[in-house]
Amino acid sequence: MNAAFAALTARAFIPRRALALMGLAAAALLALPVFAQGTGSVVTTPQVRAELVAHAPEGIVPGKPLWLGLRIQHAPHWHTYWKNPGDSGLPTTLTWTLPTGLAAGDIEWPTPRKLPVGPLLNYGYEDDLLLAVPVQVAAAPAEGTAEIRLAAEWLVCKDVCIPESGEFVLQLPVQGSTAGHGALFDAARGQLPRPADGAQARASFEGEALVVRVSGLPAALQGRAIEFLPETPGLIANAAPQQNRWEGADWIARIALDPQRADAPTAVPAVLSVAGDRAGWRVDAQVTGAWPAVAASPAPAPEMSPINAPATGTDPGAAPLSLPLALLFALVGGMLLNLMPCVFPVLSLKVLSFTAAGQGPRERVAGGVAYTVGVVASFVALAAVLLALRAGGEQLGWGFQLQNPYVVAALAALFALIAMNLSGAFEFGSVLPSSWASARARHPRVDDLLTGVLAVAVAAPCTAPFMGASLGLAVTLPTVQALLVFAVLGLGMALPYLLASAWPALAQRLPRPGPWMAHFKTLMAFPMWATVVWLVWVLGQQVGIDGVAALLGSLVALAFVAWALGSPTLGRQGRWGFGAVAAACLAATLAWAWPSLNPPPQSLASGTATASEAGWGAWSPERVAQAQGEGRTVFVDFTAAWCVTCQFNKRTVLTEASVVDAFESHNVVRLRADWTRRDPAITAELTRLGRSGVPVYALYPPGGGAPRLLSEILSVDEVRQAVASSKVAASR
Amino acid sequence: MPRIFSPVRRLTLAAGVAAIGLAAPSVWAQATVGQSAPDFAVTDTQGRKVALSDFKGKHVVLEWVNPGCPFVVKHYGSGNMQATQKGAVDKGVVWLTVNSTARGHGDYRSPADMAAWMQSQKAVATATLTDTDGRMGRAYGARTTPHMYVIDPAGKLVYAGAIDSKPTANPADIATAVNHVNVALSEALAGKPVSTAQTRAYGCTIKYADPA
Repeated sequence: MNAAFAALTARAFIPRRALALMGLAAAALLALPVFAQGTGSVVTTPQVRAELVAHAPEGIVPGKPLWLGLRIQHAPHWHTYWKNPGDSGLPTTLTWTLPTGLAAGDIEWPTPRKLPVGPLLNYGYEDDLLLAVPVQVAAAPAEGTAEIRLAAEWLVCKDVCIPESGEFVLQLPVQGSTAGHGALFDAARGQLPRPADGAQARASFEGEALVVRVSGLPAALQGRAIEFLPETPGLIANAAPQQNRWEGADWIARIALDPQRADAPTAVPAVLSVAGDRAGWRVDAQVTGAWPAVAASPAPAPEMSPINAPATGTDPGAAPLSLPLALLFALVGGMLLNLMPCVFPVLSLKVLSFTAAGQGPRERVAGGVAYTVGVVASFVALAAVLLALRAGGEQLGWGFQLQNPYVVAALAALFALIAMNLSGAFEFGSVLPSSWASARARHPRVDDLLTGVLAVAVAAPCTAPFMGASLGLAVTLPTVQALLVFAVLGLGMALPYLLASAWPALAQRLPRPGPWMAHFKTLMAFPMWATVVWLVWVLGQQVGIDGVAALLGSLVALAFVAWALGSPTLGRQGRWGFGAVAAACLAATLAWAWPSLNPPPQSLASGTATASEAGWGAWSPERVAQAQGEGRTVFVDFTAAWCVTCQFNKRTVLTEASVVDAFESHNVVRLRADWTRRDPAITAELTRLGRSGVPVYALYPPGGGAPRLLSEILSVDEVRQAVASSKVAASR
Repeated sequence: MPRIFSPVRRLTLAAGVAAIGLAAPSVWAQATVGQSAPDFAVTDTQGRKVALSDFKGKHVVLEWVNPGCPFVVKHYGSGNMQATQKGAVDKGVVWLTVNSTARGHGDYRSPADMAAWMQSQKAVATATLTDTDGRMGRAYGARTTPHMYVIDPAGKLVYAGAIDSKPTANPADIATAVNHVNVALSEALAGKPVSTAQTRAYGCTIKYADPA
């Protein structure tokens, strides 16, 4: 089951496409970073391959043709912009440093495509683009080679935008021929808008519309669908459908003006984009009449009518999972929870109960049912508290109970008591009033129930695979449905034991009752002690070394009380005598310890908890956004000291040498979001990621955009592959 | 009307008509400098209802935002946006930051998350508005993040456009750029007409929801 589980997580969280893109990404990342200065003619980013190319078939000689150009090959669905980028975007800019005697002209922009984005529209290029620039050679450079330098900036977008830049160097022979890219320049020339010589274009105004009339266009164009793309940005409503028609040999278009236009030019240079013709035609529309004053539009003023945006806070329809799927995930997640490192210590309690003597099949099933009821009821109760607190405005998530140091201390005390009991230091029967003890004997199922409660209190804060998405959904659902998800989660966690208790063959396989049971019971004390160590460490993360001392002191006093009241070897007098002293000790210790368990101010704790490790920084949303803006990938470890799975992943994967290498070689910013204590900002980010608990491992792509979530149980390969493919895969 | 359509063109046109037509042309890009700014009634990140009419008699600045956008990061990471906000709010101006990103887009942030982000940025906006269905953004013709608007106490739009004069993603350009919002506000607060009332906004495309 473990192997199958590992295979499941490994496969489930690495999309096949990401794997396929990995090689490409690795190649891309080995090349120059986005903002680095190149020493060659090629700059590669995950979005584009940009190359400085030249065409000088007869060398660099005055009067002979010399073309330079930036070739941009876009990754699928990414685009860069035309000189008029439309409603958003920025045109690509080229800044040349050329030998004296050479002067670069303007970019010869190929006819762009319309790129609609929702209600907006951009003009730009996808696929393979060459921005060619003619160069005037006034005097040939003297040396054997001419050094061409180019600094280029481009904004590349898909549904997110990344500003990129590159510096390019090319050595051209002055005498020899440079013609390797001749075909490329020829192809680019074929995509330039042709000057419509002999055509006359005039623009006038009708209300808030620009009316363009073009006469004298080539006869072959007549009757064909044409669109008017102004080279000047910000004049027309780009996304509005253009009304146009042919009137004999004249083409007439009525185009809505941009109400927020900033210019009122006397001429509008434009490209007429013709259906089925890659190149199109270029015209210069002379404006007759005055631009309508933007402030005095004849159009009816927008009324002050409320837009009545429905102010609904929740929209379950947009939830990432459907409810039935969430329930299924919850069931599977609950079962997998049993395999998480954090649940392990508590399982020994359950295993112990299986071996209890004198159980018939009926008692065993009853025990299983009681345990299940305990688990489910605890899940529902915890969830109800969580939802109630969230409804009250608290920024909490799953596992919140362990964010409170007092709860951690109480659990540590409880586990210490259980461990002492299992070790034989005292008997509950001697401590509890006799009426309680007999009730316990008459209702052994109460033990099973409480075991279930304990398992949830300690173990539930960790999220298992499949659980994260369900929990994330649950906290956004209406209360009843949310509680249903949590109940199913508990059912999943208890299910293996319920089934085992109903499985007669298991009981037959157990050894006959005997002295081994006493040994086994003592043996089971050690996982309990380990749990106490863990809880003490969690408390140390939360409140520091003084709190640890306070807790350990309290545990000693508690042990004294337990021994005094529960030791089977003490007489009645000794019991009450020691008991009184022990109780006084405990009271004094608690009075001393209590204030030390208060969490220190936020800054102190987060400073010590998060910045301690080399290579890792403390998480904040702005650090993520800033690093993304710098074109870097960001890996965020959402973690908590009380989350054993988180610690397990940290020790086995995140500090593993090859993973650290992968982070460093790909220049990944590593941030740790420590949720050991309450932190509304982290809770908010988890909510945004559709999660409600930790661990969560998120890889944010450079430039912005949605992060990719990795598996809750990390593997070295998974992280390395994800990091290697992040820049390409993250763009979706 | 054109008689011949290529299939591609027809699709493009259909998409255009679908995008614009369904929203009713009057809803898109109606905000015009010199005219009444469209009123809006939306919810802020604290769940309070906010309407433009609440702020009659005050200058109002609208700022469109998307924390996932490099151009927004340029102005917040450098502190430029916060400084502009503070300068305005200190003079009694109402500053409303609006997020029109559609639910379902990778850049979407819940109101709580948006509030936390604004807090983490030490933003001093009067309120952060949630416009997930994009109606407010469409009514103003907001296209990019950031996209800035200034409304005078009479409810008239007096500035629409970019935050400043250098349309780049490079924070180093902020120092040498003209902050159009600061200029427009200081002129409007002095009772003068705004000299540069419209500019071309630059930034990331606003990720609007499909019109309902």
